[in-house]
Order: sequence, then C-alpha cells, then structure tokens
Amino acid sequence: MGKKISLTIFGLLMAAGALMWVFQLWKGLVLTDMHNGYSWGLYISALAFFVGNAAGGLVVSSMIYLFGVTALKPFARIGALCAFANVSAAMLIVLPDLGRPFRVLNLLLHPQIMSPLVWDVIVLNLYAFLSLTYLYLLMLPDLAASSGVLKKIALPVKDPAGFSDTWAHRLAPVSLVAAVGIHVVTAWIFSTQGARGWWHTAVLAPDFVAAALASGTAVVMCVAVLCYGPAEKFQAAFRILAVFIATAFLIHIFLMYNDFVVHAWYGADEAKDILAITLREYGPAHAFEVLAPLLGVALLLSRRVRKTASGIMTGCLLIISGIFVHRVLLMPAAFNHVPLTLAPLGSPNTHWSVPIASGRYHPPADTFVTHHSYFPTFVEILIFTGALSFVCFVVILAIHKLPILKKG
Amino acid sequence: MRRGMVIDLEKCIGCRSCAVACKQHNAQPAGTWWNRVVTPGSDRHLTPPDTGNMYFLPVHCQHCQNAPCVKVCPVGATYQTDDGVVLIDYDRCIGCRYCMAACPYGVRQFNWEPSNTAMKRYEYQDGYTFGYPEPFRLNNRLVYSPVRIKGVVEKCHFCVHYQEQGLDPACVRACPGKARHVGDLDDPDSRVSRMVQKMNGFTLLPEKGTKPNVYYLPPKRKEI
Repeated sequence: MGKKISLTIFGLLMAAGALMWVFQLWKGLVLTDMHNGYSWGLYISALAFFVGNAAGGLVVSSMIYLFGVTALKPFARIGALCAFANVSAAMLIVLPDLGRPFRVLNLLLHPQIMSPLVWDVIVLNLYAFLSLTYLYLLMLPDLAASSGVLKKIALPVKDPAGFSDTWAHRLAPVSLVAAVGIHVVTAWIFSTQGARGWWHTAVLAPDFVAAALASGTAVVMCVAVLCYGPAEKFQAAFRILAVFIATAFLIHIFLMYNDFVVHAWYGADEAKDILAITLREYGPAHAFEVLAPLLGVALLLSRRVRKTASGIMTGCLLIISGIFVHRVLLMPAAFNHVPLTLAPLGSPNTHWSVPIASGRYHPPADTFVTHHSYFPTFVEILIFTGALSFVCFVVILAIHKLPILKKG
Repeated sequence: MRRGMVIDLEKCIGCRSCAVACKQHNAQPAGTWWNRVVTPGSDRHLTPPDTGNMYFLPVHCQHCQNAPCVKVCPVGATYQTDDGVVLIDYDRCIGCRYCMAACPYGVRQFNWEPSNTAMKRYEYQDGYTFGYPEPFRLNNRLVYSPVRIKGVVEKCHFCVHYQEQGLDPACVRACPGKARHVGDLDDPDSRVSRMVQKMNGFTLLPEKGTKPNVYYLPPKRKEI
C-alpha cells in the first residue's frame, strides 16, 4: 500500500516536471533565471549531483568483489539499481538545459572529440549500461529460480549462482574504473575551463570523486535501511558504509579547503574575489554544505544512531543534501566573477570587470551587468524535482517488481 | 590568411556607433549585443573613473586562435574557418551553452526566447525589421540568419555575409573615429600587422592563452 502511494506521488511529480519541460520547450529558456553572463544553473548543478549519487552502486560491488567485503553482499543489487537510476537522471536533466534538445542526435552525427561534454556522454552511457548489466548479473540466480516473465528474461546457464558470481568478479575492476571515470570526466567539463578560476583547478576531479563516494554511498545506505530496517545482521554492513562515507567526506573537505588555502594565501585579486563569493555572499550555503554532512557523519559513526532507521536516514539525508548544496555552489563563484577583468590605465591596482550583455529583459536593471543573483525559477525547480522523483520512482518500482532484496 | 582586426584605442571616441551598426546589420534580437563599448574603471560609460585615465574599450568576439569555445562545442557547431574566423552554425547548435561558460570575454549571446517575442517584450513597433535580410550559408553551413530561432548561441562573425562582396565588417565601416582596421595578420607587411608591430599592439587576457586575432593599440592621451 505504501509503495502504491509513493509511486503515485513520485509519478505525479515526474509528470509535473515533464509538463514544465514541455512548457519550457514552447516558451524557451527565458523561463529560467539564467542569463548570458550566468549561463548554467540548477540543471547543470543537478547533473553533477546525480552523477555523484550514482557512485554508490559500484562502490558497493567493487568492495564486495574486489576487496572481499562480503558483509555488503545483501546491498549489492540495491547499489547497482541506485547507480542506474541516478546516472539515468543525470543524463535526463541535461536535456531541459539544452536550447534545442531535439538536435541532441547531433552528438552522434557530428561528435567533436575534443569536447569534454562528448567524453561525459560516452562515460555516462557506458556506466548506465554497466550498472544495468551488473544488476542483471546479480539478480540472475533469483531470476532463474522464479517463474513467469522473470524466468523468461533469465540467461539459460547451467549454474546461475556460479555464473553470476564469476562475472560479478570479472566485471568489478571495469566497473570501478567506469565509476571513477564518470566523476573525473564530469569534473573535467568544468576544470578544463581556464576562463573560470573557480573551476580551473587540478583538485576538482579528485574532489568530485571524494564527494561522489560520500553522497553515492549515502544513497545506497539510505535505500538499504528503508528496505531492510536496522536489523542486527546488517549492523556490520552499516558500520562499513558509515566509515566509508565519513572517510570520503573528510577527504572531500580536505581537498576543498586545501585549494582555498593555497589561493587565499597568495591573495591574488581574482582568487580573493572568487573566494569571497562562496565564503561571504553565499556564506550560509557554504556553512550548510560543510556542517550538515559533518553532522550526518557524526550521526552515522555513532553505534546507537545506527540502531535506528530514522537515525541512519537522517544522517544520510544530511550528507546528500550537503553535497547537493555543494553542487549548487559550483555556479555562483564561476559566473559572478567576470573573467574579463582589467586594470584601467593609470590605476594599476584596480580590478575592474567588463560588463556582459545579459540578454534578458529586466527594465529596472542594466543591459550590461557584472553580477546576477541567480535563483532557480519555479519551472527549473519543478523540472529538477521531476528528475529527483524519477530516481525514487525507478528505485521503488524495481524493488517492487524485481528480485532486488535478499529474502529471509 | 589569418583575418584579424586592430582597434586603435587612441582613436576610439566611445560613441558606440560600432555596437549599433553591428546590432542593426546583423539583425540582433532585442537585448542581444555582439559588440559593446565600455569605459574601463567606470560604472558609467563616458564618465571618467575615480582614479586613472579615461579611455574606451570596444569588446566583441576575439576570434581566438586557441579558442576554448571551439574546443568545448560537443557538435562542432562553433568552428574555425581556414582564415581563422570563429563561426557558429545556427542549424547545428544544440544550445548547451558550454561555449558561453568557456569564453573568457563574455561575448556569446543566447536566444533565451524566439526573436519575435523578444522584440514584443521590448515594445518595438509591429512590423519593424532591420538587418541583412537574407540567410547566409558558408560551405552550406548557416552562419547568419536574419530571423533567430530560440535556443541557439550567437556572436560576432566578422560580418562573414559581407566578406564575399569585398566589404569590411559593419563596425569597421561605421566607426566615425576610424579606429578599426581589418587585414591579414599572417602577412607581416599588411597594414594591420605593421600597426601591431609599430604601435605596441596587445591582446585581451593574454594570460589565458587564447591567442586572439583582435589586437588593440594602447591609448596615449584622451580628449574629453
């Protein structure tokens, strides 16, 4: 009954998001709050967010099949499922960001191999395919033992359990490379851009990996506790995940502040300007992206908290929402620092930004601007909510229809 | 042949005629400006900055040799011609705006809505049209169209539609200060090359390594 209600709610939210997208297709991206100087917003932040959340699946399976952490075995299918749902959402949320989404086929007809966006499309599709294959392999023994449609889709092999195990082992290293690959390549979309000081740092790719390992694993832990509850036999697995999340998040914090310190110490005007946007203008958001997950980590590390489903849920959601805010903060310091700044003649210590034509009609505002307080519109928020609901919908439906959970 | 431009800041009077001519000749939708002229250091154009000297800086696409916009475009809609001009194929652009994030000069403009609704929003009189009236294809790629569809990126194309008629870009022809010059930067004896060499030509943001084909000559003094 609960499943039906949640499927209905997420289904309706998906429909609302789709409807908003149709509306946006009709009217144009004028319905968003982006402009020429601030050309990416919630949709691209959401791309990075979903890509990060997709990490969990193959983290779990590689821990089991590469590093022999068998305690996590009951969560392996949940992991692969969450990976597939999130990486699909990542690819979906890019579509509403495109001005001409129906031309997306041009990516196949005229791919330009130097573009990191092309690399990202390739690795995201590969990862989606791999996580689906993994899910299928892990379910194979149960599929073979079932009846009806599920039996029909099972590969006719003599020893399904043995086959599943062998191939899960063989695919594990490939999946681990692909899993790291999606974060690295997604980070390269940003970090290759010399125009944007906020992104143009070698630390971005490792930081994307660390943040993804934290949020992606939190997604798996969250779904696992919803499915199985905090039963005693899963406590060892929850402890491993909690330690893993904590380590990954602390590495993320280290990488981020390491970069801040290096730039703040040297104190170039450009770096100070960029850091001020994140630390001062978006100070409360920055505090949240650090403190909320830290609280989440503290909760998850407590054995007492891990005994309750609500405790684990709260911890995981704090981490996921903190990483979400981290992804949102990818944009302001990149776009509100105008790359074309110069020192006017006779005033060498001045740091002056050349304004950009916003391309948007706001009668009280200037035509040429250097700053924009971007906040996603209702349309952007609903479309994002639709993609988020898609993830929940797919996960719930799959758990309902497929042998995802271990019986008994 | 490397088509380039030299803008003599000593001669620029900040009148923004180039921006207007550019907008008119290229039928730019309401709110879209391929070309802008600013007074560095001052928040108000044509107003001296609090400190330092007043001069004027026109900025449009720099037609970089190492153009980040060309490299990021996933579908090759933004591309470089043999003579070094960076163009956009309006028929191929998917509107991902990666090029806008990549461009350090802030010159790329997106069609956030269809050009006719943008014109209505700005309350242009019904039926008013302007600009070069025909679409222009270069090697069968649509690099100019008087009517813009929503969702594609556009920017300065060195008036590619006038080139085959032997005409200079609209901004060059319209400049009352005669501050703008075009020519072949590959030819060391061309007028533009000699101007760059003899008059200390410089480019914007050389530290970004984009190698622009638009050069500026430094201003010496400025009448107000």
